[in-house]
Amino acid sequence: MSLLFKSRVTQATNTDTSLVMTWYFVVLNIMRQGVHSLNEMWRTTTASMMTIAVLGVSLTLPTTLYLVVKNVQQVSSGFENASEISLFVRQGLSDKETKSLVKRLNLYPEISDVTYISNEVALEEFKQVSGFGQALDYLDSNPLPSVISITPTQRHSKPVAARKLLAKLEDEREIDFGKLDIEWLERLNALLSLLRESVITIAFLLLTSVILIIGNTIRLSIMDKKEEIQVMKLVGATNQFIQTPFLWTGIWYGVIGGFFAYICIELMMWWLGSAVSEVAGVYQSEFLLQGLSFFEFTNLITLAVLLGLFGSYLSVKRYIKTIEPDKI
Amino acid sequence: MINFQQVSKTYPGGHTALEKVNFHLKAGELAFLTGHSGAGKSTLLKLISVMERPSAGNVMINGVDLNSISKSQVPFVRRDIGMIFQSHRLLARHNVFDNVALPLVIEGMHRKNISKRVHAALDKVGLLSKVKCYPETLSGGEQQRVGIARAIVNSPPILLADEPTGNLDPELSWEILKLFEDFNRHGTTVLIATHDLGLIARMKYHNLTLNKGKLLLDPLKADVL
Repeated sequence: MSLLFKSRVTQATNTDTSLVMTWYFVVLNIMRQGVHSLNEMWRTTTASMMTIAVLGVSLTLPTTLYLVVKNVQQVSSGFENASEISLFVRQGLSDKETKSLVKRLNLYPEISDVTYISNEVALEEFKQVSGFGQALDYLDSNPLPSVISITPTQRHSKPVAARKLLAKLEDEREIDFGKLDIEWLERLNALLSLLRESVITIAFLLLTSVILIIGNTIRLSIMDKKEEIQVMKLVGATNQFIQTPFLWTGIWYGVIGGFFAYICIELMMWWLGSAVSEVAGVYQSEFLLQGLSFFEFTNLITLAVLLGLFGSYLSVKRYIKTIEPDKI
Repeated sequence: MINFQQVSKTYPGGHTALEKVNFHLKAGELAFLTGHSGAGKSTLLKLISVMERPSAGNVMINGVDLNSISKSQVPFVRRDIGMIFQSHRLLARHNVFDNVALPLVIEGMHRKNISKRVHAALDKVGLLSKVKCYPETLSGGEQQRVGIARAIVNSPPILLADEPTGNLDPELSWEILKLFEDFNRHGTTVLIATHDLGLIARMKYHNLTLNKGKLLLDPLKADVL
């Protein structure tokens, strides 16, 4: 549309009048500029590769830390599930009373499994395990209490919830006291959350650096094309028009940097995989190193793209408007 | 078409480039803008293309006061003005076709039509055979003509030229002036800044002469002022 000459029909409005077609061409143009800016990066391969490598490493670090947390959590969740509550039944309870207690406990929504170990069974087990064997036969009476072993549900096996559950169970009339070995679990959880927090902090710093790196790279490339931008402005280009290729460059940096990080991580996983399974073998556990799932992979790429776009947007907003044609 | 009313321009630092300049260039006219270097020719052209804003007075194009044009509207003003520069100002990284097509790409024109128009424009300046060449492989005169093709490719109503014949020999200069005459015959308003007085003397057109920022009377036709 012409601003000064109302009757002048410019070419863009002349050819395609329908709104749909106009939008179609706008989108097509943006896509074309995307391909074009990829070509441009191809032309300056060395410089682009350096930036991409820096981005890739910056993205690899937080992702690796994330995987460490994820895998440690996987290991520790095995411990957490084992957190059992042992309830010591009051002495001199009749069979009927015990049975009804077990039945009642089974109805607790917080409990997933109840195992009753009568004092006879416990004594038998103790005999075998302890090695006292025959010596125990000399006892007049069975000194062991009956025990009910409780496995809380997943949700209630967390330290705080488990403690609450224990207090609730101790209120039962037939129960003497309960025991929950919880301190080590609390320590582990505290360590885990510390680890998680530090990962978040480090990730935040590294991702900020990604934004700054992309911003700076785009700034340099804007400065490099200063003359070109001036000419474009002289023939009537809007800031938006000039911006688009630079924003695309930021997006491409994100995409390729994200893939680079993914490849680094896969290589690392492959490298560590055999060592980890060796360690796991020594501990007779079936621990398997977990890599990035497809969902996490797409998240990584999306994040990288957003960072790239944001970094380039910062530079583009700041610098393109400052470049004005000054001499004819 | 181009109307200056009491236009003054003082640059930061106190240098006065133009002082109370008045003139009216009518639609479809061709005029020369002459004067010594530093007389304010470039400033005057910059005011028309909104590269600079006047310190006082009004610059009107087709009745629109350029003072009322906001920063974001400036690109749209420039799309109505074809500009030709002494230093050509071509994009070195793009070939002749892309250079000429630039104003059309910026307007968002369809590819098919772009190709048609670019070829027409290059045909007009006689460079159809150089479509795929890069600017640095062309001679000075050819580069200048690519610049002209870029300026006229979207048929703007106004054509501004700053020393378009600056670095060319007389014969080439003459050819380029003939091109401007041709565009003018088709209705384009043309303003050419030049210090090539010998060239102007051969043509009977209006002549705006600047001297230290002030406009002198046109010795040929006083009615321009």
